[in-house]
Amino acid sequence: NYSELSHTHPHNQYKPTHPCTAWDLTVTVEDLGPDAPPIQISVTSELHIGGVILKLVEKTNLKKDWSDHALWWEQKQQWLLRTGWTLDKCGVHADARLVFTPQHKPLRLGLPNGVTLKMRACFSSSAFRTVMGICRVLNLRHPEELSLLRPVEEKKKKKDKDSSEELYDLTDVPLTAGALNNTSKKLLIHCCSARSHWTLYDGMPAHFADSPKTEAVYKMLSVSLPSPAPEAIAKLYRPASVVDKTHIHTRWLNSSRSLMQQGIRENDKLWLRFKYYTFHDMDPKYDAVRLTQLYEQARWAILLEDIDCTEEEMMLFGALQYHIGKLSLSQDMVSSCQGMDDLESALKSLEVKMVGDSNSTDTLENMTAPELNDYLKIFRPKRLTLKGYKQYWCKFQDTSISYYKSSEDRYGEPIQQLNLKGCEVAPDVSVAGQKFCIRLLIPAPEGMNEIYLRCENEKQYSQWMAACKLASKGLMLLDSSYQNEVKNIQTFLAMQRSNSAGPAAQTDESINTHSLVSPRYHKKYKPKQLTPRILEAYQNVAQLSLTSAILKFLQIWQALPDFGISYFMVRFKGSRKDEVLGITNNRLIRIDLGIGDVVKTWRYNNMRQWNVNWDIRQVAIEFDGNINIAFTCVNADCKVVHEYIGGYIFMSTRSRQQSDTLNEELFHKLTGGHEAL
Amino acid sequence: MDDIDAMFSDMLQEMDLLTQSLGEEAESAPLPKPPTIPGPQEMNFSVGFTDFNASLHDLEDNDLDALMADLVADISATEEKFATEKDTLKGSAPVAPIPSQPPSNLSFPGSSSTLRQATSSNSIAATPPPPTSKPSKEELEEQIKADKIKLALEKLKEAKVKKLVVKVEIMDGSSKTLMVDERQTVRDVIDNLFEKTHCDCNVDWSVCETNPDLQTERGFEDHENLVEPLSTWTRDTENKVLFHEKKDKYEVFRNPQNFYMWKKDKKSLKDMKEKDKEQLLEENFCGASVIVPDLEGILYLKEDGKKSWKQRYFLLRASGLYYSPKGKTKASRDLVCLVQFDNVNVYYCKEYRIKYKAPTDHCFILKHSQIQKESQYIRYLCCDDEWTMTLWVTGIRIAKYGKQLYDNYKAAVRKAAGSATWASRSIQASSSASTPSPTPKARAANGHAPQPAVETKGSSNQTSFPPPPASMETLPPPPPDPMLPPPPPAPPSTNKVNQFPPPPQFPQSSFPPPPMDDLPPPPPPPPEDSELPPDFLPPPPPIFSSCGGEALPPPPPDPIASLPPPPALQNFASAGGAPPPPPPPPPPPAPAPAASKPAGSVRKVAPPPPKRTTPQLAAPSGGDLMSELMTAMQKKRTQ
Repeated sequence: NYSELSHTHPHNQYKPTHPCTAWDLTVTVEDLGPDAPPIQISVTSELHIGGVILKLVEKTNLKKDWSDHALWWEQKQQWLLRTGWTLDKCGVHADARLVFTPQHKPLRLGLPNGVTLKMRACFSSSAFRTVMGICRVLNLRHPEELSLLRPVEEKKKKKDKDSSEELYDLTDVPLTAGALNNTSKKLLIHCCSARSHWTLYDGMPAHFADSPKTEAVYKMLSVSLPSPAPEAIAKLYRPASVVDKTHIHTRWLNSSRSLMQQGIRENDKLWLRFKYYTFHDMDPKYDAVRLTQLYEQARWAILLEDIDCTEEEMMLFGALQYHIGKLSLSQDMVSSCQGMDDLESALKSLEVKMVGDSNSTDTLENMTAPELNDYLKIFRPKRLTLKGYKQYWCKFQDTSISYYKSSEDRYGEPIQQLNLKGCEVAPDVSVAGQKFCIRLLIPAPEGMNEIYLRCENEKQYSQWMAACKLASKGLMLLDSSYQNEVKNIQTFLAMQRSNSAGPAAQTDESINTHSLVSPRYHKKYKPKQLTPRILEAYQNVAQLSLTSAILKFLQIWQALPDFGISYFMVRFKGSRKDEVLGITNNRLIRIDLGIGDVVKTWRYNNMRQWNVNWDIRQVAIEFDGNINIAFTCVNADCKVVHEYIGGYIFMSTRSRQQSDTLNEELFHKLTGGHEAL
Repeated sequence: MDDIDAMFSDMLQEMDLLTQSLGEEAESAPLPKPPTIPGPQEMNFSVGFTDFNASLHDLEDNDLDALMADLVADISATEEKFATEKDTLKGSAPVAPIPSQPPSNLSFPGSSSTLRQATSSNSIAATPPPPTSKPSKEELEEQIKADKIKLALEKLKEAKVKKLVVKVEIMDGSSKTLMVDERQTVRDVIDNLFEKTHCDCNVDWSVCETNPDLQTERGFEDHENLVEPLSTWTRDTENKVLFHEKKDKYEVFRNPQNFYMWKKDKKSLKDMKEKDKEQLLEENFCGASVIVPDLEGILYLKEDGKKSWKQRYFLLRASGLYYSPKGKTKASRDLVCLVQFDNVNVYYCKEYRIKYKAPTDHCFILKHSQIQKESQYIRYLCCDDEWTMTLWVTGIRIAKYGKQLYDNYKAAVRKAAGSATWASRSIQASSSASTPSPTPKARAANGHAPQPAVETKGSSNQTSFPPPPASMETLPPPPPDPMLPPPPPAPPSTNKVNQFPPPPQFPQSSFPPPPMDDLPPPPPPPPEDSELPPDFLPPPPPIFSSCGGEALPPPPPDPIASLPPPPALQNFASAGGAPPPPPPPPPPPAPAPAASKPAGSVRKVAPPPPKRTTPQLAAPSGGDLMSELMTAMQKKRTQ
């Protein structure tokens, strides 16, 4: 059979040795140890790769499962994976140095959340397929949106190398990918995009349930991590300019080639990141890990100023991080599954409904319950008098505060009634100074009435503050979120207390507000100044469930003007200076480096075709209306640009496809470039 | 807390009292005044309500006519409905359960039933209770009590629904007066107006508010509630509600490229393919988060408290309106937030060049909707030209409302497409007494479609009313949102929102002694009528039912299901024609309104004048309205 094959092959004419002449092939078998000498086996050029492997294994005298092993040709940097091909057909001669090595090797994978996970990955298939395999193990849907890149070179690597990095290890998880033949590869492709390919075990894919160790890995993957220490943020690399942001593209792996081919070796470190900013069919029910990791990537993008935002937005991001962190901490393993989260809330609302419908006495109780009565100090700065705070008996009912001279007068007419619906509520709090004020801006026909309520202590403050906050949204005290709101305010105050007490030691209950914002704000504000700002933003998100908070974070992130732009340093044809090309999911943006202004945009739906001249590494694009542009990449490889454009076009085809299967072939066609041919 | 407790014990006592005294009172005409019940919810009612007497007087005469006629029509319609329903019920039910007749202190069968019959209407609820095994007296009382509480609670909820009579000025200078329920969205109101006017129902029609003090105009978004913003108007406001076409309302969805690719030459965008437009919309409105147009450029900002306007470089972001301070780049981190959109609305302004010495007349402001007068809390902005202003205002609306805006548009398009077919269909329907339409919306459309006919009939609504029988046949329950027959064009002089007192009719009508309840209730605003389907689900025990049950809105059963068969309806339609409008047709509502008058009409905007306690029980506040209307009508007549 094989000889027939080789006969038909045109290469046969040029072979230097006679097909029957035996020669020695040198193969290093890694499993014999690093110091063992290479093995020499006698072969003919007609011997196929399978035969070589057989001979090799016999010669090693080692009894083990060799099924994952394959031959790697060192000089040519390529795998000899086609076992049916003869040595001759592969072009292997006596001078070849082959290595017999497993295709799946441990890799240190830097996850979006910053954790390093040790796991096995395929070093012989295309990086795209390797990512698919990784994502399958991690339970991440839509692996086409992710890719691998080389980490930023860290300077002072030495000292903390061991501790944090080896914490999470999934190398023992049996990989079905171990015996990847063609059919199972197809299966794998299907699995990667199918909704639920793992039987869930306690809300977690079964393969994580093997041991407490793997369970911990799943928890790490699916629950967002506590906020990092401010120092840790400051230590990490931050792009300082658009030019800096272009550097990331020098680090992406080529998705059409294998890891080995790209110089990645066993135990090397690679980052796994979302590469294409279009997140298809995000579903909290199935996407616990995906959602969490995406959130983590977004959070770090904001903390490291990878994407710019305004101060107001930063405070909101900070508040959401705080909220998400707090909820994540309080979550145990099972309910960390996002689906459960939803289910619980659904049940709760159902409960409420049923109670409301059937049990009138309960409703009665509810209706009579909500009211706050207390002495508070009120101050209205609008009056020109210099009168300060004056004490009144205040009654909070429904969405209004009525105040009276004293508690004896409470049945009479109040001095004033303030309806808080639609008002602005801001905290004016200093735990250290024991100042607990609520600033109310109540809209009225003439403008806004500014009123301060001063509370005696934290408890009183949290109750009244929560009530004001709800009332401003038109909710009454009987709203189910009230107690939660009170608690949230209390914990936030506790956080401030510990901040003012001492340096930022992160405990369960309190965190340094500096770990919620980017280093720019570390310089601008002290934690003490930051707290009220974040607290203010926090009021608006404190009621969100964990999943909704994460979704909200992602939503705001995606609404940022600079979201989803990947920057490349390019030189346009005919131009003498470097410029920046932004690539997004729907358009190309030409950006002037000097001012950072958008000079021009081209949309993909006007694009006729794009070509890459691999010899001069130039990308040429033609748009409708006979518009042609061409550019070369200054720092990144033009294959990366090519992959981005092709990748986004691939992503946009997904929505139209009904089937859940990932069309790997199309992806390769669109991104492969000359490798696809 | 105490108040509510007190109120409930009061209510329970009251109910007991009523049931006990049922027998004697059934015969006696003079109604005992029910005691007052102080309720905490009064506070809510009083806020923001103007004296509706005053506003009633301000109404144009013809408006009054229209309003009156409409109300009367509604009353007779409901009455008729109940009457027919009672008939049908009587046929099937009457004999059954009287055996389980409870305590003797109730006079049940004889007098009250005749009374019921005589006085018509809502007494259907008196249908005897299911003949269950005889419960002990205690159990029964428990049960009664529980039911009462439940019903009372429901009524309380219902009673909280605010309604406004709104005068809407239409472009040609005419106006329409309609009643708007706080649950209605602007979309509902527009749909009503479509039926009342002969406009083409395109998507550009919008309900706007104008404020002459601030010289502003804002189109309400379709999903907003109309009552809420109108409630915040001051009592002597000159504000108006307009109904007209606004081209820029949904322009962004027709030509998204002009907004999302605003930097490009507008001419080059003119011929954009529909497909590309759709894709633009898809990209910007259908993703995980709505993308706000990346507007930036120089606008003039009026400085706080000063007369000068300063140029600033503004940028629009999803999180708010920002400007870059002098000497800084426009990098995100350096931007200063002028305003975030959570609590403010955006308003177009007129003639600010004169009013505020603005550089151009293309100004818009951002303010809390409650602010009605010049204030330091208003942000005044000025653009170079009209298109820039449209861009920014639209951009801000997108930032504020997000996907909701797109949903509104799609609904409006559907509506516009549907209205054409419905127009033709309703003509058909009215000619051939057709079947009730499937969807509530469609039903409303159908029901109201014939109304223009009334208008064409003649200027005197009184004679032409009630609406033509043919149309009524197609009309299931009275439409939930009452519309007044279009009055003859009125001079657009005074446009006021007449704010009704929150209608506490429901609780009221349930408490007063039985005889009164058996009277046709003074015309309450129809929405509630429609919720009075006679087939009362858990039939309360007889004692109860005869006193309060009929007026209670049962847990909303399907109105259609509760409808009497068509023949009955026919019956009603013809009967509906009978009562002459002016004094409410069916027997004497006179005592009730009279009782209500003293305190019921006094309402203040200011904080909590807890005076409304009396009216609340004294009589259905619908009585207030009716009596007021009546006197107004009389006055007009005598003139």
